[in-house]
Amino acid sequence: MNFAAAGTVFKKELTDGIRDRRAVMTAMVFPILGPAMIYFMFNALIDLRKDLEEIEVAVIGREHAPAMIDWLTQHNVTFKDVTEDPKQAVRDKIHDMVLVIPAGFQHRFAQSRSAVVELVNDGSRTDARNAVGQIRNLITSYGRQIGAFRLVSRGVSPEITQAVIVQNIEVASKQQIAARILNVIPMYIVLAAFVCGMGLAVDSTAGERERATLEALLINPVRRTQIVIGKWLAASLFAAVGILLTLFLCFFTLKKVPLEEIGLSFTLGWGQIVGMLAAVFPLAFMATGLQLLLGIFAKSFKDAQSYIGVLVLIPVLPGIIGTLYPIQGKAWMNLVPALGQHILLMDVVGGKAPAIWNFVVSGITALLVALVCVKLTAYLFRRERIIFSR
Amino acid sequence: MIRVENIYKQFGDVTAVNGVSFKAENGQVTGLLGPNGAGKSTTLRMLYGLVEPDAGAASVDGVYVNDDSIAVQQRIGVLPDTHGLYTRLTAREHIHYFGQLHELDRKTLLETTDHLIELLDMGSIAERRAEGFSQGERMKVCLARALVHQPPNVLLDEPTVGLDVMSTRTVRELIGKLRQENKAVLFSSHLMHEVSSLCDQIVIISAGKVVAQGTPDRIRDLSGQQDLEEAFVTLTERTE
Repeated sequence: MNFAAAGTVFKKELTDGIRDRRAVMTAMVFPILGPAMIYFMFNALIDLRKDLEEIEVAVIGREHAPAMIDWLTQHNVTFKDVTEDPKQAVRDKIHDMVLVIPAGFQHRFAQSRSAVVELVNDGSRTDARNAVGQIRNLITSYGRQIGAFRLVSRGVSPEITQAVIVQNIEVASKQQIAARILNVIPMYIVLAAFVCGMGLAVDSTAGERERATLEALLINPVRRTQIVIGKWLAASLFAAVGILLTLFLCFFTLKKVPLEEIGLSFTLGWGQIVGMLAAVFPLAFMATGLQLLLGIFAKSFKDAQSYIGVLVLIPVLPGIIGTLYPIQGKAWMNLVPALGQHILLMDVVGGKAPAIWNFVVSGITALLVALVCVKLTAYLFRRERIIFSR
Repeated sequence: MIRVENIYKQFGDVTAVNGVSFKAENGQVTGLLGPNGAGKSTTLRMLYGLVEPDAGAASVDGVYVNDDSIAVQQRIGVLPDTHGLYTRLTAREHIHYFGQLHELDRKTLLETTDHLIELLDMGSIAERRAEGFSQGERMKVCLARALVHQPPNVLLDEPTVGLDVMSTRTVRELIGKLRQENKAVLFSSHLMHEVSSLCDQIVIISAGKVVAQGTPDRIRDLSGQQDLEEAFVTLTERTE
């Protein structure tokens, strides 16, 4: 088979598509929207946590350590000067805790000796335990920071004193929210496959009918399949570019968001990116194939949008079901387009490496569906009702 | 040479074409004349392979549409009755697209495109996008893309409909040139005066049937009317 005609149609549709503001908008805005939303949601989440952390501390002898008080103030600690006996006040539950800075603090500090502060608290009080723990951590990290400066000024790396570092990863509620946001990413990328090529797919089928250009096109001595293949590949290229864009924007957004501040460790390595692309690219071809087929039934762009709106549900479905009942990856699922890709993506994002045959099987299934759609569309291009009715 | 042999086409209960036969010779302009809904467009569509006849056959240069529609499509240039354009492509890009679909080599394509742009006086719109083209400008683009592969047979479905005087004139001149190049030109119209001034042969169809065919003089004789317009009315009324 000679594919010169398919190439001609491909080039024309691409030129046409790039000039089509509507098609370019759907292909560009969608990839930007998701990562932008993820960025703002995470920042809001982090801010929320900071607000809750504000702690009030009763203090005696604040004037003895002004630098430390400043530093703590910057970390959302507010101070209240008190004069009563600290132990009695804590025992009487007047204050959660009292920070006592003795007069000798400044002197020992200046001499680079361990300066001592007293944190008077009642260990039996569970309601104050969190705040006390946080103040203790803050003062400890202040001390560590000063210590590090002292070592650096003496030409010693502070890492020498930190033989082991513990990275704290919590899975409490806020982290769960964050993890759920991250789980949206695979679903979003699958959606990108369906959305980004849509403008062009619809414009080259329903648009061709709407503008009454189909008849003239089909009089050319070219097989219908060739024409449809050209259109299909052009729309698929749009979808593929959209997927790439989405993936890279997600990648850079996650680099920008300070995930460790909410105790979350999430990295997207290059290996994972390649894995995700391998999983989703075949889906792009299937999506545009389906859109061409549905588009040819529609008499206008608007008409087509109402049909194709339903189509977007397909890729979202496994994701929605997945959040309700966790989907256990089974071998037969690779044979179901969209579901297979969803499982592959979840595995890749979760750090598991699916076997190559998983990629191959779900890729081939998606491409087969696409080819059936292409053939059907080519067949419909022969129908008098499709060519002439407007 | 175009030949239509006793073709039929039915759409539901309506018989659109009811046993039409005629031929269009090389170096001649053949006019397919008939009122709206007489079956002109359907007949042409069966010739260029987009509508399948229920019975009968159509051939171009001896190749039957049913046997090899692609070979037929290579030998014809068609102006269909829809004049849609791709609004984001320029006039020149339209011509190139169709030329490439005919797999013309680059050199021929560029030469023919320039030639057609000059012939149809399209210089001012060649590099403009088709969005907002006037009727006449659209028609010129459609004609140019239909002729880019220099087909030996030309089918024009109502080529002057909706055009102003100047554009109509360009189209008539073009038809004259095509005849000089010894092409078979078949065009449809519902305007008797247009057909009479351009055609060597006239085929009058009404309600899906050929009611008369021959030279303009023969048509006058058949109807017994001196004025062709009157002849047309008389002949079509006889069938209704």
